[in-house]
Amino acid sequence: MPDGRRQPTFNTLQREESFKNPSKSGATYPILNEFVIPHIESFNALFDDSGLPKGDGDGRGLLSLGLKDIGERVVFDGNGEIGTESGHRGWGNRMSVWIEEVSIAPPRVPDRDTWSTERKLFPAEARGRLTSYRGRMQVKVCWSINGNIHPDQCVMRDCGLVPIMVRSSRCNLRNLPSSELVRRHEEPEEFGGYFIINGNERLIRYLILPRRNHVTSLLCPSFAKRGPSYTQYAVQIRCVRPDQSSVTNTLHYLSNGSAMLRFSWRKQEYVIPIMLILKALIGTSDKEIFEHVMMQDYENTFLTDRVELLLRSFKMYNLYTGDQCLEYLGDKFRVVLGMPEDWTNQALGAWLIQKMVLVHLESARDKFRMLIFMLRKLYSLVSSSCCADNPDSPQHQEVLLPGFLYGMIIKERLEEALNQVRNQIATDVRKAEPPVDFVDKRYIVKVISKVNWDIGSKMSNFLATGNLVSPSGLDLQQVSGFTIVAEKLNWLRYISHFRCIHRGAFFAELKTTTVRKLLPEAWGFLCPVHTPDGAPCGLLNHLSRTCRIVTAPLAVAHIPALLAAHGMTQAFSSSIDGRKSLCIQLDGRVIGWARQSVAQQLATNLRIWKTEGLHKVPLDLEIGFVPESKSGQYPGLFLFSTRARMMRPVKFLANRKDDQVGSFEQVYMNIAITPEEIEPDVSTHVEHAPTNFLSILANLTPFSDFNQSPRNIYQCQMGKQTMGTPSTALKHRTDNKLYRLQTGQSPVVRPHLHNTYAMDAFPNGTNAIVAVISYTGYDMEDAMILNKSAHERGFGYGTVYKSQIVDLKEMRGAAKSSASPTLHFGLGPDICLVQGEKQHGCCQFLDRDGLPYVGTKLDSGDPIAAYVDDTAARTRFVKYKGDEQAIVDEVRVLAGDTGDTELQKLQVTLRITRSPVIGDKFSSRHGQKGVCSQKWPAVDMPFSESGMQPDVIINPHAFPSRMTIGMLVESMAGKAGAMHGLAQDATPFQFSEEDKAIDYFGEQLLAAGYNYYGNEPMYSGITGQEFAADIYIGVVYYQRLRHMVLDKFQVRTTGPVDPVTRQPVKGRKRAGGIRFGEMERDALIAHGTSFLLQDRLMNCSDYSTAWVCRTCGSLISLGYDDVSLGESSAGTIKPTGPGGEYCRVCRALVEEEDERARHALATGQNPDRNPLPGVKVAIQSSNVFRSSAKGGDLDVVAVPYVFRYLCAELAAMGIAVSLEVR
Amino acid sequence: MNQPQNANPAGGTHPPVQRQDMEYICADCGAKNEIKSREPIRCRECGHRIMYKKRTKRMVQFEAR
Repeated sequence: MPDGRRQPTFNTLQREESFKNPSKSGATYPILNEFVIPHIESFNALFDDSGLPKGDGDGRGLLSLGLKDIGERVVFDGNGEIGTESGHRGWGNRMSVWIEEVSIAPPRVPDRDTWSTERKLFPAEARGRLTSYRGRMQVKVCWSINGNIHPDQCVMRDCGLVPIMVRSSRCNLRNLPSSELVRRHEEPEEFGGYFIINGNERLIRYLILPRRNHVTSLLCPSFAKRGPSYTQYAVQIRCVRPDQSSVTNTLHYLSNGSAMLRFSWRKQEYVIPIMLILKALIGTSDKEIFEHVMMQDYENTFLTDRVELLLRSFKMYNLYTGDQCLEYLGDKFRVVLGMPEDWTNQALGAWLIQKMVLVHLESARDKFRMLIFMLRKLYSLVSSSCCADNPDSPQHQEVLLPGFLYGMIIKERLEEALNQVRNQIATDVRKAEPPVDFVDKRYIVKVISKVNWDIGSKMSNFLATGNLVSPSGLDLQQVSGFTIVAEKLNWLRYISHFRCIHRGAFFAELKTTTVRKLLPEAWGFLCPVHTPDGAPCGLLNHLSRTCRIVTAPLAVAHIPALLAAHGMTQAFSSSIDGRKSLCIQLDGRVIGWARQSVAQQLATNLRIWKTEGLHKVPLDLEIGFVPESKSGQYPGLFLFSTRARMMRPVKFLANRKDDQVGSFEQVYMNIAITPEEIEPDVSTHVEHAPTNFLSILANLTPFSDFNQSPRNIYQCQMGKQTMGTPSTALKHRTDNKLYRLQTGQSPVVRPHLHNTYAMDAFPNGTNAIVAVISYTGYDMEDAMILNKSAHERGFGYGTVYKSQIVDLKEMRGAAKSSASPTLHFGLGPDICLVQGEKQHGCCQFLDRDGLPYVGTKLDSGDPIAAYVDDTAARTRFVKYKGDEQAIVDEVRVLAGDTGDTELQKLQVTLRITRSPVIGDKFSSRHGQKGVCSQKWPAVDMPFSESGMQPDVIINPHAFPSRMTIGMLVESMAGKAGAMHGLAQDATPFQFSEEDKAIDYFGEQLLAAGYNYYGNEPMYSGITGQEFAADIYIGVVYYQRLRHMVLDKFQVRTTGPVDPVTRQPVKGRKRAGGIRFGEMERDALIAHGTSFLLQDRLMNCSDYSTAWVCRTCGSLISLGYDDVSLGESSAGTIKPTGPGGEYCRVCRALVEEEDERARHALATGQNPDRNPLPGVKVAIQSSNVFRSSAKGGDLDVVAVPYVFRYLCAELAAMGIAVSLEVR
Repeated sequence: MNQPQNANPAGGTHPPVQRQDMEYICADCGAKNEIKSREPIRCRECGHRIMYKKRTKRMVQFEAR
């Protein structure tokens, strides 16, 4: 600076200015819009006016392309006249129905609402009113009779309200600048990319799919189980149609040398001999197939044998021409396909091949060439001249984009609706009551309106649940878990949702861990650091910071001609030597062949052309040149121009231009990390920045290159659990739960990307003075001591916002159907409002309108709203159910969709203050988490020579085993930065062995008058004596994690018990206890603490007393005599207990005995008796008690209640339990 | 408060509704709206469908701990 002042490094004023006056022309931080581009553009691609470049297509949206693919449905009325063309077969008039166009409008206020001045609906209202952000979808259904298209024969059909992605081309926030976004109650940097469903923000997660239009060879032992003679070898290709729906074709190798093509149609798998398809495609001769597969490599006996077997084995079908094959296919598939009845078998066969085999290719010749290529690759795999491809490697993967999935679902729903129309008409024709008249427009309109076209609700359901309901399965491996909630817990977590990419729910259940492996191929595309540990580890990844996903279609139609002009042999050439030539493919289409050297030259040329923009070669073209190798990857030159590929920017060394590298080609590139690393004649590229392989979150860890790697993984997780600043539009948020840190600060030490991503707008922690010292013993085992004064100054002070929704429509007593509701918010006449003694208690909390006063403090059980029930004429209350004190922060009064209904729904935001307490969790940005163990008074804290006291004390033992040197460096850098007023750059990979971070910051500390290494003499706060060692003290950015004791503590003495066992219930929510389990029991036994054991397992659990019979040992045979009126006169047997208790078993026995004795006396028989004839139980005589006391001898014992329950259950099974009482 | 219970002339016996108007603030344009109970929720100025309840004028006092 000319005036000698230093340039400010925290940009505080600049930031304040941009907050006060948001940009009127665009976004302040455009990079925030960039990282959701794949979400938004894939959604935009659905529409004809997508704004994306047209590429090779005509610019039509995926929905239009999908409609084209759906085609038409045909019905016949069965009353054609004999002799006419349609009549002689008896089908009659032929009506075809199709969907002409589909449109989705931006969300608007319903037309019934005539008073709104703003007709557009904005996302903030959907969030605020807890509804969905949806736009109306309409389709134009047309029909023709006997092929006569008439403009009158069409009808518009409403398809309901379809959820719209925020900031997409159908969103009303599209292209709004920051200032307008703020006016619409959004973040100034709102980037969209999600849907709003019932007030929740939900998004469709990226999913990894096999790379499209590329043949991968697979080696999977489970293929051998598919049937007899199947082997583990197969090649697979996932073919994608222009509308982005896909079909996977697998070519299985059979042990007899032939191959079977597998595809699935409506979740049913079919296999067809490859020869049948090859012949059906172009009606070729056996010789031609032989020549094409052999490609002049006649010495290769392995190949000749296989091809010979292949050709011979097909002889048994007796199909010689292509038409015969089509006929055969059509005949077999006629029932399955459900196509018009008047189609010939041949037409059906052709249709099947067009729809199911290599669907990315239009022409049969292209399909034939590709199938031959697949066959060659398969044989090459079997002969192990090439290796199997790894399907888990990003080299063979691409991304399922949200918009594409959305479009596929809409397409399938439309197809289903069209099928229903067809079926409905066909049913009516069959019933013929009244006979169907195709000329009658009213009838057809009636049928179309009868069918369920409500696609909007189905899409809402898909987004709300993430469950895919589909007849075809959409060629995906999972049916659920497609959508997630974009939680605004804090900013880091929120933005991570938009960059996360899942491997697929199918792999989560897999026992093997190979899919979770971090592969070198993922470098630069998937972040190696940012993955959760635990169950989803390695399956849920995050895209690297610079990784893009191609969403724009590219113009590549001229590439084959361009390559042919530079030495490529055309694909139709008949004299190609398969041994020497490499296949050149563009998006899974064989466009030619070339010698290895020529192919390599072509690849180099293409790369130069695309980086320099010559010959109109698009920059996003992926040039995967796989050179020949000894049993390596199958060689060839594979060009990819399709969407959904991962690409990343690097610098091309040959001309120092920017290049985009895809995950397929990267494997064969030599990319230097830093310019110093470039090896001449080896390196092809160099990274723009060495940190580009990290995700956004991993990039925000300061000095992460100094840390042990797992610590950086932990920080990526903890950063997402921090109490920070979730949003700057907090007032307009209605999230279920929001955590907010009141005293967020800009970190002194931060990587430069912190500014790039505008992290200062969403502070996530506090700069704390941290002393590394073992003091008071309260910092053992990762505990940390908080300075009480720091706490009182607001260190880590947080707030939780919870929302409670009161919807009278869901209350008991609400009128289900009637237009006028029976429940109304308000206080009824039964509530005394007059001040004084008689005033109803609720008036303390509730206003006259039945809503809570804004600002009232609520305790558990206090009323939060009151409503009057018309039918009962009484006022009822809705209670606050939380168990903490909460303050009513905001009361939102919500109207219905049209704003013509009275108040029925309420949203109350409650604020719960969460000042840090002992037991709350904190962490630095280096995976060093700890629990606050004490709030130590400032007078007793240690102090430095200048009188500084630490805010936080942590134990030195936190460092040796964890090796988080980054934290030590941060401490030094923070201290120096705080003293000099500098925002320190903590970007990783900036320092080296020659230029050490310690020296750099040490010099700064020295200049500020501190010790070079950041440690300084300190004095005990208690004795005032200097410590023997100098203490390492500095400034570290501390995060407060959302795990707080107040949400977790679980304690009980007495409380709710299980009704069956009378043992304490489990679960914190139900005030249950923590299980005192077997191992805990073992510990107490081992300690010999029997009284404690007794207390835990008996007295505090299900202690109960029971009567037990000393005679028979039964616990369940208690009977009572009524002794309230004195001695019973039952006879000789006397009750044994003081309350008239007796043992029913023993008394019954005695009575029986007496009876028998009397009987024997009467008849004079021998009293030789068998008490229980037929039942023999082997019980030792010592275990059976039968004393002389008649009628049992009852006693009270203390037993666990479950034991009594067990006895009862056993008795029900016919097992008596006998206790011995001593 | 001590109004006599009067039957609704339109038939049906509604309890007497205290038709007091409360002031709410429109979430979109910020206009003050007086809405009586059982009236539709809608801003008179712009027709918006979300209202905020105004902060209470009563004294709100907490212990600062």
